[in-house]
Amino acid sequence: MLLELQGVSMAFASLKVVDDLDLHVDEGEIVSVIGPNGAGKTTLFNLVTGVYTPTGGDILFAGSSIRGLDPHQITRRGIARTFQTLRLFLNMSVRENVMAAAYGHTKAGVFRSMLRTPGMRQEEREIRELAEKRLAFFGERLMGYRWDQPAYSLSYANRRRLEIARATATNPRLLLLDEPAAGMNPKETQEITDLIGLLRTEGGYTILVIEHDMHVVEGISDRVIALDHGVKIAEGSFEEVATSPQVIEAYLGTGGMAKK
Amino acid sequence: MFPEPFRDRLATRVDEFIQLTLNGLTLGSVYALIALGYSLVYGILKLLNFAHGDVFMVGTFIGFGTLQLLGGSADPVVPVWLLLVLITLAAMAGCAVLGVAIERFAYRPLRDAPRIAPLISALGVSFFIAYSMQLMFGAALKNYDTFSLDGGALYFNGFDVGNVRVPLIRIITIVSAFVMMILLWLLVTRTRIGKAMRATSHDREAAAMMGIDIDRVIVFAFVLGSALAGAAGVLFALRVPTYATIGFLIGLKGFTAAVIGGIGSIPGALAGGLVLGFAEAYTQGYVSTRWSDLFVFVILILFLLFRPQGLLGKADIRKV
Amino acid sequence: MSGGYDDELTRPLEGALEATTSEGPTSPAVGRDEWVARHGGNRVQRGGRLGTLEERLRIVPWWAWLATFTALFALLPVVSDSGYVRRVAFDIAIYLLLALGLNVVVGWGGLLDLGYIAFYGVGAYSYALLSSDHFGIHLPTIVSIPLIVVIGACVGFLVGLPSRRLTGDYLAIVSLFFLQLFLTVTTNGDDLFGRNVTGGANGLLNVDPLSLFGHELPVSKDGIFNVAYLYVVLVAFVVVYVALRFVNLSRTGRAWRSLREDALAAEVMGMPVNWLKLMSFAFGAAIAALTGTFVAALNASVFPLSFSFPLLITIYTMVILGGAGSQAGVVIGAVLIGVLLELLRDPGDSRVLFYTIIVLGLVAAFRLSKRLAVVLAGTAVFGLVVHSIAGAVDNDWVNGAGGAGGGVSDFMANWVIVPTDTASWVAPVSYISLVSLALILTLLRGWARLALLVPVLYLAAFVWENVMLSKPEPTRYIILGVLLIGLMIVRPSGLLGEKRVEIV
Repeated sequence: MLLELQGVSMAFASLKVVDDLDLHVDEGEIVSVIGPNGAGKTTLFNLVTGVYTPTGGDILFAGSSIRGLDPHQITRRGIARTFQTLRLFLNMSVRENVMAAAYGHTKAGVFRSMLRTPGMRQEEREIRELAEKRLAFFGERLMGYRWDQPAYSLSYANRRRLEIARATATNPRLLLLDEPAAGMNPKETQEITDLIGLLRTEGGYTILVIEHDMHVVEGISDRVIALDHGVKIAEGSFEEVATSPQVIEAYLGTGGMAKK
Repeated sequence: MFPEPFRDRLATRVDEFIQLTLNGLTLGSVYALIALGYSLVYGILKLLNFAHGDVFMVGTFIGFGTLQLLGGSADPVVPVWLLLVLITLAAMAGCAVLGVAIERFAYRPLRDAPRIAPLISALGVSFFIAYSMQLMFGAALKNYDTFSLDGGALYFNGFDVGNVRVPLIRIITIVSAFVMMILLWLLVTRTRIGKAMRATSHDREAAAMMGIDIDRVIVFAFVLGSALAGAAGVLFALRVPTYATIGFLIGLKGFTAAVIGGIGSIPGALAGGLVLGFAEAYTQGYVSTRWSDLFVFVILILFLLFRPQGLLGKADIRKV
Repeated sequence: MSGGYDDELTRPLEGALEATTSEGPTSPAVGRDEWVARHGGNRVQRGGRLGTLEERLRIVPWWAWLATFTALFALLPVVSDSGYVRRVAFDIAIYLLLALGLNVVVGWGGLLDLGYIAFYGVGAYSYALLSSDHFGIHLPTIVSIPLIVVIGACVGFLVGLPSRRLTGDYLAIVSLFFLQLFLTVTTNGDDLFGRNVTGGANGLLNVDPLSLFGHELPVSKDGIFNVAYLYVVLVAFVVVYVALRFVNLSRTGRAWRSLREDALAAEVMGMPVNWLKLMSFAFGAAIAALTGTFVAALNASVFPLSFSFPLLITIYTMVILGGAGSQAGVVIGAVLIGVLLELLRDPGDSRVLFYTIIVLGLVAAFRLSKRLAVVLAGTAVFGLVVHSIAGAVDNDWVNGAGGAGGGVSDFMANWVIVPTDTASWVAPVSYISLVSLALILTLLRGWARLALLVPVLYLAAFVWENVMLSKPEPTRYIILGVLLIGLMIVRPSGLLGEKRVEIV
């Protein structure tokens, strides 16, 4: 198991947002997390990336506990994420956004930077190449002249792609994608679905995805986990979860529609 | 620091302790009033109003000016008690107006700007006010000369605790401060506008959506805070001469009191003010007058390290 | 071919900037769409003459600017023999260094360091303690300066440490109190457990001059300030400027930029935000400490009063005016404010400065338009009329001005009211009226604003001539305070700071 949550709980004052959650992701898997709004999905991502510290339980990555670590330490161990509401560095260029994320696995310190040692300049070249390579993954969309454009000049779909590219620049083993297809038209959604598959086959990443669009979930997932009110209510293949009565009830309630 | 006519009466260590406690209480009451202003504004705007100390300073000057207008302390045209009430009210009113103006012109345009912008504006305001006063009224000390009032009545009247005299002037300071704090507490907890203030400090957007007029609430917070600072100014200047740049140092202390007590919390401001007052008084008495500031700094650092939310503040929960 | 291209290229960017290509058509290097490729290198630029000027200036490399600036500065003592000019040049050079240091903390780290001047003082006092008769230690300059830079960095680090996990407000508080603490310790340090450590309020004297390559640099030659000190500071300035520029262009600078954009995202992308902030804080402290050594050496003394809150505000104004985050900007800001403060020392210069700035301000606000003419003419006429009336009522009301002769001076004498004696209530009443009316002015619009502007300008001239000219110290700080407030409201990015676009 690459990622394992053992009895993880998260409470804000007396409000329990995640309750005794057990969850795992194996290396090389693509797992989707679904659930109605407020189910605790983004909180789950915040817990795994160290933005929150769980009030109960433990989180293990590659066998060792990451509970209580700072987010940047967790990122260095190999977990990267995108945000549900995009959080790009808007005033920086596209290339710079991705280069910035390489910080965690590079080491030119301030003194070497001041003196511009050959080692530092070599590392800068490598970071630049890495950024361009990661951006190239998305085809012509984020290539060429776009590299120098400020991130705020990108369209919405391109911003989402940039955010993924930036996350991959941290050289992660596990990639957490928070609603990567949100706000995309059907064509772009299909592209994202293919892209996520490519991220696994060509990039070698293990991927945990939060998604609402069931077409995407169906198209990518090895396994699906459904959450509601911070609790796991179903887990299995897409078909199993989609037809599970608890899931249907969570989304549609116990009224007439659900009984169908 | 020990009032002159009574120094020889401090015979025992107990006396010394009582005197220092009294000093601490007096100092602390004033600090608490100032701290309240910081807390009120910070609670709603999350802004450290650096100019607040200078509003306090303006209060001392308005009090002084009103005092002179009413004949001066040697020969006032009204009875002493009325004199005190009038200068306090004048200071409170003047400072309230000043506070509203500061909010309206220096902070409101920056309400949606990044956090650092209103802070820097506040620095500018602080500077502007302090040196404007110096420009207009000079850099010399302004002494209320309270001792001349009614032949020193405020100093000679009072009661005794053991061998220590508690002069009327200190009683007035402490009691007035506490009365104002109680009134404020009632205002914040028992009235609608108080409830609106508390709601706004929890979540400004939600409060706005509930129909609360945010601008009015913010102005009200400034009115209250500044009026209290004005009152604190008079209470302070009755015993200590004032000058145009005093706002920086006193404001810093009031501000430290607010942080120690828990910035954003009203009972916290009181607690912090008293803690600071006592700390300063005891250090001055038992250690040395010169190093009391250092001691206070150490206390502040310890709080920030181990209990950043202060004595009575709530730990900050941030939602991502 | 998907439809992703159209929206971004047809969406106009905000403001009055027009997009033009700065390159001609290029063969498509990437992408199949030729129009897309042709717009490669799209850069937004200002239209018109200002735009072409800006484009031409942009081509000049940064080091050319730096070299030219430094050369001009270095030539000042050659051009002018005056000891006064050299001393002012030295002061401004010190401001340059201090502004560069503060820029790292405020502009790059995004922190409010209200104790910055204390680190300047730490450097000065450290030098004084290590290179003077006080303790009998006389470290050679080549040892003391690097040592003091390290000391500055360490002290900065320690001061920033308690608040690293707290919000920026806490760092502001801690640093402010550290400044106060520094002042307390240095002022009262003549009795620290019975030993005289810091010389107390009288400071430390007989501090060694700098010595380079074995030669001692005397502080003055025949009573004139030794120009070598100016050159030492200039060299330090260039070294610091270049070193900082390189750091800003490296991964550290990128990380600083990221954390300014979105600290949470930066942290999650692997950048240790707290550590980076702490580092910027310590950097600023180190540079301030370095600057302190030069001042201590030149003055051969240190006093607690030199490291005051007003100096802090002065440096802040330089940084904000120039544009926090831009080294070139803060350099310009430092020069402008430094010169401004110097001019304000002399009443004659102050007078000229005041009217020049008013006129320039009006031109900037109204451009060359009818409204400008109306305001200028109106104010002139208004003034002449009021002056005549006042003079008719009582001659003493208007005869106070010196009048050095000459056309402009005569006009001014007949225009602005300068009474022979001013009663004590005149200053407060006129000043407070001016401030209140000026504030009301910001609330008005249209013709009402123009109408009120005229008497306000006249009142401002009155206040300047009668109240502020004679008191340069509060006046300079009032101006700095107003500058800070105004800049934050009107142009927070200053002259050359990055204009942040916040398109959601």
